[in-house]
Amino acid sequence: MIEDLIVGMAGSGGDGVVSAGESLLSAASSEGYHALMTKSFGSQIRGGESSCRVRLCTQKVFNPGSALDAAIALNWDDFLRFGAELPLSRGTVLIHEEKAGAPPAGVTGLAQAPTQIISVPISELAKKAASTEKAKTSVVLGLLSGWFGVPAHALSRGLQKKFGGKGEGLLEANEAALGAGIEYAKTHPLQQPKSLAPPAAKPGSKMLCDGNDLCAAGALFAGLKFFGGYPITPSTEVMQTLTKELWKYGGTVLQCEDEIASIGAAVGASFAGVKAMTSTSGPGMSLKTEIMGLASIAELPLVILNVQRGGPSTGVPTKPEQGDLFQAAFSAHGDVLRPILAPTCVADTFKITVEAFNIAEHYQTPVIILSDQEIAQRKETVDPIDTSKMVVEERLRPTAAQLEQYQRFALTDSGISPISHPGMLHGNYLGAGIEHNEAGDPTASGEMHARMNEKRFRKLEPLKSRTDLFEVAGDPKATLALVSWGSSAGVARETFELARAKGLPVKLLVPLLVYPVAETVYRDFFASVRAGLVVELSHQGQLYRILRMHLDLPRGLKSFARSGANPFRPTELLEQLAALHQ
Amino acid sequence: MLQQSTTEAAASRAFKPTDYKSELKPIWCPGCGDFGVLQGLYRALAAIGRPPHEVAFISGIGCSSRIPGYTTAYGFNSVHGRALPIAQGVKLANPELLVIVAGGDGDGFSIGGGHVAHAVRRNLNLTYLVMDNQVYGLTKGQLSPTSPRGLQTITSPLGSLEDPINPLLYLLAYGCGFVAQTTPADMPGMTAVIEQAIRYPGFSFVNIQSPCVTFGEDDQQLKVHKSSMKPLASLGHDSANLLGALDLARAYGTELHTGIFYQNPTPPPTYEALVKLRQADQAPRAVAREHILDAYLQK
Repeated sequence: MIEDLIVGMAGSGGDGVVSAGESLLSAASSEGYHALMTKSFGSQIRGGESSCRVRLCTQKVFNPGSALDAAIALNWDDFLRFGAELPLSRGTVLIHEEKAGAPPAGVTGLAQAPTQIISVPISELAKKAASTEKAKTSVVLGLLSGWFGVPAHALSRGLQKKFGGKGEGLLEANEAALGAGIEYAKTHPLQQPKSLAPPAAKPGSKMLCDGNDLCAAGALFAGLKFFGGYPITPSTEVMQTLTKELWKYGGTVLQCEDEIASIGAAVGASFAGVKAMTSTSGPGMSLKTEIMGLASIAELPLVILNVQRGGPSTGVPTKPEQGDLFQAAFSAHGDVLRPILAPTCVADTFKITVEAFNIAEHYQTPVIILSDQEIAQRKETVDPIDTSKMVVEERLRPTAAQLEQYQRFALTDSGISPISHPGMLHGNYLGAGIEHNEAGDPTASGEMHARMNEKRFRKLEPLKSRTDLFEVAGDPKATLALVSWGSSAGVARETFELARAKGLPVKLLVPLLVYPVAETVYRDFFASVRAGLVVELSHQGQLYRILRMHLDLPRGLKSFARSGANPFRPTELLEQLAALHQ
Repeated sequence: MLQQSTTEAAASRAFKPTDYKSELKPIWCPGCGDFGVLQGLYRALAAIGRPPHEVAFISGIGCSSRIPGYTTAYGFNSVHGRALPIAQGVKLANPELLVIVAGGDGDGFSIGGGHVAHAVRRNLNLTYLVMDNQVYGLTKGQLSPTSPRGLQTITSPLGSLEDPINPLLYLLAYGCGFVAQTTPADMPGMTAVIEQAIRYPGFSFVNIQSPCVTFGEDDQQLKVHKSSMKPLASLGHDSANLLGALDLARAYGTELHTGIFYQNPTPPPTYEALVKLRQADQAPRAVAREHILDAYLQK
């Protein structure tokens, strides 16, 4: 029995491997397994190669895992294009379409070439059972059921959901193909059988969604009223969801003519007094930066989602990278600070989004959510989220007494000034990108500029004490550290558990608030640390460099970073960590 | 709507032009056309009668974009070229506001030119006032998108090699339901046109020939306007005649036509009216906040 099963599949666009992955995911999640699926495509609009990997686990998992347990190649060319996403090892059971021919050198020549490579006449089985080769992914699901113990009844129920009522015997054909796959597996047993243990959780107790789903849901929960957007991969789904939902709650979604207009409209809506948001990915973020500066100086609440992808420029738009941290922290002109929050998995995208709105409204500032393609588009089972204790904040409005002699940018102790909005009697003021005095009147006074800058920084100081926005785990006296953020943190979490199980003296720090740097939190954490890794998916190791700007780091703390589209594996991180301990 | 017009009726008795005048002193040069525009605007606002706190006045960057600060309305002097998108966000967040957008020819037709067509086709009930002076004044006299071919400026010392854009033809071609041109040289005419533009239930555009006294051409000053302007009404133009309007608009840059080129006699519903209908239609599908995530539960 195994507790964890990682399946990877690749084929041509029309083969339906992603759809088969979704069936597998849905079957597993309805049974109570924790399951997550990542997808990778070529950049073609239609057709081209596509792949998915599905991880099924009896317990909760945080990342797509290490090497595959089962790999399915419908043809070799497509399979080889996903080398980084579909890593093989000696233990991988590699199943390939018989028609594709013998495995090429790209597979057999690997140092870690699988020892079990099985040729299956997949299309032929589909044709025989279902009279069409199109049912071949149902055969594949049957093979996975027969060989790895994925419950057949759940897969069958998945097929009913997908094909039921579609007519012309489609459901029957696919069920027959599923049966043929199961039968083939039974009559051709594996040399080293692997069978998935029953799940720990009860069936039907989980949500199934991706990070973009939960970002949209979080925004609705937080009371979003205006969304301005422009299509860009891989963030567009947020706009797509909101444009179905937001009207119900009295809000508006405006698909704008460009990225600039979309953040402009959102800033306008915030000025008019409602919660506003825009979303994009790296290149769109570049276009939005001027108006981010406007939101900072006009002290307008605004949430900006950047679902990072490989860059610069068009880069690798369908794959994850954590290369926009510098951009988020430093790109806008002027001497300014913008809070940055980063979700680390599908589930916490909800909480992070609500928190982003809370910080934006409370501190009257733009807040950036730095998600990435993996979290945003990874479909995953998520335990129900208890929202009953979640707080939703509103911006500080002026009292009737304050309105008698209203000063929009009053220099208060906290740095937060009560904010009015058009329509509010006696709250009239001039919002502006130009520097202003307390009343909001334009000024070029150096003294006033310094005081206003000081105010805009001071009001954000309390954020650095938000220890609840940091995940710290492990023995406080541990000498080895793992630090990671964003989607890489999911790999770090698993590595941390593996390292602890191995007896390494390790602790883990995951900042959800990535910027401003909470110096005290890091100092406390690093006090006992002699060596460790800062793990992130960017060539430069951007968080590591930002931490060096703000802190004296332990000498043995190294950056472990590499370009996007090359996901980390827990096993390789463990090796690195173990090496540091010696 | 009914409630709003009642408020308007009540309020129109209550507000004087000076109620819209703020205490800030304009940075404009003495003799700048924008002073006149500001006076006309105060009068138009008083005639409309919405209280200042219900007016949102959005601008970009430039000499003329300073104008919101000189009113008692809620103003937003934003960034260069982006007044229109920002104003659309304001209006959609609170459709009850009277939203006016203002800026110069550079703000509206150079850096922000890409937004105009979209603001027009969305047709929110906004009034867009462009103070067109054919030059960049705030940065001290460079070529603008409406500068005539051959104009010598500090960025075109040997003369401009480009034709100007024609804002009137652009707006008409984009499908704008209200297009007018005016000059502060004709205070009563300008005030009336601004008021009519604000009253038009949809996106309205007024190109105001507002001369730059410092960097503008001698033949573009207010004194010259007084004798050169040709009221469209005096030419017998019918503002419901779109083809006639297009024909007359071709003379932009050579003739100073004033008045309404085109006003759609049957204004289509505004964007925000359609949004309201959609919100009302969808509202019954809303779920309580604690149930928003239920949509993702696997049954």
